[in-house]
Amino acid sequence: MRAHDGELGAAVARAQEGDEAAFAVAYRLVQPALLGFLRGLVGEDAEDVASDAWLEIARDLGRFKGDGAGFRGWTATIARHRALDHLRRQKVRPRASALDQDVLLDLPGPQSTYDQALESISTEAALDLVRGLPRDQAEAVLLRVVVGLDAPAAARVLGKRPGAVRTAAYRGLKRLAKQLGVQGVTDDGPRTLGESK
Amino acid sequence: MGEQRSGGGSPGRRRAHPDGVTAGPALVLDDAELEALLSAAVLRGHHRDADGEQRAVAAFVAARDAGAHKARTRRRDDWRPRAHRRLALSLRTTISLFLASLTLGGVAFAAIGTAGSSDDSADDKDRPTPSHSAPGRPATEPSAATSGTASDRPNHPAEAKDIEAKCRAYDQVGGHGKALDATAWQRLVEAAGGADKVAAYCAERLATAPAAATARATASGGNGNGGESGADNSSGADNGSGAETGSGAETGNGGTGQGEGGDGNSSKGAPKKD
Repeated sequence: MRAHDGELGAAVARAQEGDEAAFAVAYRLVQPALLGFLRGLVGEDAEDVASDAWLEIARDLGRFKGDGAGFRGWTATIARHRALDHLRRQKVRPRASALDQDVLLDLPGPQSTYDQALESISTEAALDLVRGLPRDQAEAVLLRVVVGLDAPAAARVLGKRPGAVRTAAYRGLKRLAKQLGVQGVTDDGPRTLGESK
Repeated sequence: MGEQRSGGGSPGRRRAHPDGVTAGPALVLDDAELEALLSAAVLRGHHRDADGEQRAVAAFVAARDAGAHKARTRRRDDWRPRAHRRLALSLRTTISLFLASLTLGGVAFAAIGTAGSSDDSADDKDRPTPSHSAPGRPATEPSAATSGTASDRPNHPAEAKDIEAKCRAYDQVGGHGKALDATAWQRLVEAAGGADKVAAYCAERLATAPAAATARATASGGNGNGGESGADNSSGADNGSGAETGSGAETGNGGTGQGEGGDGNSSKGAPKKD
């Protein structure tokens, strides 16, 4: 997705001049990663939250200043705020995780190689794995890996220092790798976002 | 882990070591590979949502037509690279510095005029050049005190004359910018209120210039500087205030203010001169 940054930046610039077709281009370039990020945060409500976020993005586009990478950071910040509002409205009730045994059974057995495991991993399974991480690690991994932000940009989205985000992303990825390695061998139960382990 | 990092082989070919199946850490993927695969897994499930896109575009059009896109950029909306933001910040700083330098530059420019002109002025032969003598010997003579103050506020009566001198120069060179040094030219333009107004401004200035100043300027060999220096060095404490208003008056009313100062000095200069 970083490869599209130039195209995205140009589309945003044209949209800021009033070109609605360019805004649609920007939407198509940003939405997959943004939705992936939101699914990691709020699960199946992600589409509603993304819809809210896009209304705000469409309204405030004139305020934005920056390039394609900046636009991804800006939109991620807006989406995250909407997601946190959404979670707050739900009384921060930890979602009953969608990670049920079905998902685990879908995963390849331990005899597979990691590459095969990861290549065949479903979107839901991957997101469930990420949601199983402590909240700070999950967010750091999602922003770095799915949205494709660099550490300073991810840190800005999260309101943290870049070093803290780097550490959280590193720990999260390490934990994911480990979980993939022992997938199907250990069953550590339903995992929910925000649950610290 | 180190082994995989150094290896960097294609992901498709690496196979888990059989022993590692139950020992996860032995099989940690390269970070970049894990990230790429994770990202691919998350994004793979995305299907294009035409409704969402339409809603977003409709909101965009509504906001655009309502003029919402002219809203001011808040700090949190500025995602330009850090260097750019710093540049924008420093642009603001630069502008204020530039304005400050215009003010200070006015003082400095006038001071240069005095320092240069005081060398060849008549009364320098009678007493030491104020700008040099003031710090060097503080109390050798009573005039040292006055010269000390004079050196602090040397020149400003000069400004009005200065403009006249520049106007004359402008007449002579027929408005070709290269003949005037850039700063002097800009100050003239500034005083006139625009490059195209210089001619009219100069005509007015030269017409209303005090007869004494004109006479002196022509008498002293047509050299504008010579004319000025006479007024400068004869200036007393009054010129101090003249200097302050002169430097503050960059914005345009300086012309008349300085003109008055010049008149005062020329009349006052006469008694002091002998």
